[in-house]
Amino acid sequence: MSDESKRREETAGLMEFSVENLVPFGPIHPALKEPEYFKLILEGEKIVQVIPRIGYVHRGLEKAAESRPWVQNMYMFERTCGICSFVHSLCYGQAVEGLTIYEVPRRAKYIRLIIAELERIHSHLLWVGLMGHWAGFETLFMWVWNDRELILDLVEAISGNRVHKSMNAFCGVRRDMPENMEDRIVERMKFITDRAHYYREIIDTEETMLARTENVGNKINQETAQKLCAVGPMARYVGLRQDVRLTDPYAAYDEVPFDIVTRTEGDVRALLRLRLDELVVSANMISYAVKHIPEGPIRVKIAPIIPAGEHSSHCEAPRGEIFYYVKSTGGRTPDRVKSRQPTMANIPAALELLKGQTLADVPMVLTAIDPCFGCMDRMSFLETESQKQWTWSGEQLRQYGIKHYFPDRFNSPNPTKFKAVP
Amino acid sequence: MPHRRPGAAIPEMFRQMLEKPSTEAYPYKPIQLPDRFRGKLDIDPEKCTGCQVCAVVCPAGVITMIDKGTRKVGDRELPVRRPLFDLSTCIFCGECVDNCAFRALEMTKLFELATPNKADLIMRKAVEK
Amino acid sequence: MSENLLEQLQTYAAQSNSKVSVPRKGETFIDVDQGHIKEFISHVVNDLRILHLATITGLDLGENIGILYHFSQDKDTIQVRSTVPKAQSTAVSIVDIIPGAILYEMEIHDMFGVTFTGNPWINQKLLLPDNWPDDLPPPLLKTTKPAEIRKRLHLEVERK
Repeated sequence: MSDESKRREETAGLMEFSVENLVPFGPIHPALKEPEYFKLILEGEKIVQVIPRIGYVHRGLEKAAESRPWVQNMYMFERTCGICSFVHSLCYGQAVEGLTIYEVPRRAKYIRLIIAELERIHSHLLWVGLMGHWAGFETLFMWVWNDRELILDLVEAISGNRVHKSMNAFCGVRRDMPENMEDRIVERMKFITDRAHYYREIIDTEETMLARTENVGNKINQETAQKLCAVGPMARYVGLRQDVRLTDPYAAYDEVPFDIVTRTEGDVRALLRLRLDELVVSANMISYAVKHIPEGPIRVKIAPIIPAGEHSSHCEAPRGEIFYYVKSTGGRTPDRVKSRQPTMANIPAALELLKGQTLADVPMVLTAIDPCFGCMDRMSFLETESQKQWTWSGEQLRQYGIKHYFPDRFNSPNPTKFKAVP
Repeated sequence: MPHRRPGAAIPEMFRQMLEKPSTEAYPYKPIQLPDRFRGKLDIDPEKCTGCQVCAVVCPAGVITMIDKGTRKVGDRELPVRRPLFDLSTCIFCGECVDNCAFRALEMTKLFELATPNKADLIMRKAVEK
Repeated sequence: MSENLLEQLQTYAAQSNSKVSVPRKGETFIDVDQGHIKEFISHVVNDLRILHLATITGLDLGENIGILYHFSQDKDTIQVRSTVPKAQSTAVSIVDIIPGAILYEMEIHDMFGVTFTGNPWINQKLLLPDNWPDDLPPPLLKTTKPAEIRKRLHLEVERK
C-alpha cells in the first residue's frame, strides 16, 4: 500500500467505532480544571481512539473585535486567558505596530521581556503544582503554589495587579519599573532557582512521581510532531529546536543571552523536567535584563487610526506559539483579527499521545500538554441499534427534569406555571 | 535508571513545620498593598471640565456624560457635561486616569467593592457638584 | 528569507499563474487559485521543506471568502491565499498533506460556512453550539449582526 493511501486510511474512518466501548470524559469532570469533552474508545483498559469536542467557553472575541476601537481590543484580548494574559496583548500589539511606521523604544522592549518571563515562571510553577495534584501528591501542589505567591507579589509591585497586568500599549509600555526594584528581583530569582532545583530532585527520586510519570504517554517521533503542527514544549520534548524566542526574536530577546531546553525521551517525565529547566533559564534572563536595562523613553504615542494593510506576528507563550493576524482598512476599528492559541495547535498531538494508555493515566496526559480551553454545555444521545445521534437543548433538559421529579405538577390545570421561558 | 531514593520530601516537611504560616491574616488584620495597586476609581469634581475623553477611551463602557445645561462664552452657548460612573462594570485598567489631561481621576487602594445592591456602585460626585 | 528560496517560490508560482508579492521584509503573499492549491502546498511542504503551518485564517472579502494559509520558518512568513465564491463555498482540504490542519479547517467551516472536501470530521461542529439554528448564517460574515445571534440563541441580557 503506498504512503498516500495508508495515510488516508489513518485519518478517515475515525467515525466508525463500536459504541459499547465509549467512555465519555467530560465536559465536567473532577479531574479537569476546564470543560472539555473527549470521547474515549476503549478496548479493555487501553485507549484506542479519542474524539474531541471543544468550544465550551467560546465567547466570540473575533466578532466582537470588529466593532471596537484598536486600543480597546488590546484590553479585550488580554482577557482571553488569565495565565498568559500579557503575551496575548503583546502579540496583538506587535501585529498592529507592524502596520505603523513607529519603532518601539529599547527600554520598553526590556520591560516587556521582564514581564513576559515573570509570567512564564508563574505559569510553569502553576503547572508543576497541578501535576502533583492530579498524581495525588497534594503536598507538592501546596508547596509550589506557595512559592508562586512570591512571583505574583513581584508582578503586583510592578504593574498593580496580579493577573491582568495591563502594561502594554501600542509602541511602548504604560508604566515604568519602580525604583529600587533591582536588588529585590535578583534576590527573589535566586530563591526561585534554588526551589526549582529542589523540585527537580523530588521528581527525579520520589517514588510516587516516578510511578505516575515515567513511560506514561505514547511516544511520538519528530516527524509526527511536525506533521501534527505541535508547538512549544510539545515539540521541544521530542528534540525539535522550535522556539519563537530563538528563531524569530521579538522584544529584547536578541540582546539577552539564553539557550532553549530540549529533551529526547518522549514521556510525561521529560515534560516535567523540561518545564522546570525552562523556569531556571527564565530566572537567569530576568536577572540579566534587570542589571542591563538601558535608559530612555518608554512609549511613543500614536494616532488612533491605523493605516491599511495586513500583518501577522507570533510570540512564545508559556504553552507554545501564539499567532495573531490583523487586517486593517484604514479606520478606527479593525477589519479582521485572528488569534490562534497554542492549545488549539496541540490538540491533535494530545490525541496521538493518548493512544495505548490506560484510563487511569488520562488526567496526567491531558494535563501534560498544559491545556487552556473552553466550551458550551449540552447533552448528547446515541441510539445503539440505529447509531442515530441527536442532542437536547438546555430547555429540553429542564423540561425533562420537571417531568421526572414533579410528575403530578407537570399535568396540573395551570400549565403556564412551568412554561418554557425563551 | 533513575536513582530512587524515597523520602526526598521529608526534610522540606520538617522545615515547613517550623516556619510561620503562609496565609495572610486578612479579615482580622489589614493587608499590605503596593503603591501601584489599582483599586476603586475616584474623581476630584473641582478639576473636571467635562471634556469627555475618559468616556471615549473606556473599554468597558463605564462612563456616561450627563447634560447639565449650557454656559456663555463670549457670545456663544456651549454645552456643559459631567461624567457619571457605573463602577459595577469597571475593569480597573486605568485608561481614563492616563488620558485625563486635568488629572481629575485617580485609582485608590479600595478593593472591597462587593455589594448585593448594584446601585451602590454608581458614583455621582461629579454630576451633583 | 534566503534569496534562493524566494526565487524558487517565484519560479514555481509562475508555472501555475500565481502572483507573488512582498509588501514588507520577511512577509510574502502568494495568490493561488483553487485548482492548484493542493499541489502548491505539497510543493512547499515536501520539496521546499517549510514545515510549520501556523494557522489557517478565513476572511470575508465581499463576494468571496478568502482562505489564508500561514507558514513560518525562522524569520519569514509565507501566506498562501486562495478564494472561494460565497455562493458555492467548497474548498479542497489539505489534511492528507498536513494532518494537523484538521481543526483549523473545522473552525473555518463553523465560522464562514466553507466545506472542505476530504476532511473526515467536516460535518462535526467545533466551536458552535449544537442548537445553532440552520437558517442563521455563519457568524463571522459581515452580514451577520451580533444582535441577531443573541436574539436567536436566547442570550438577551437585561441592560439598564
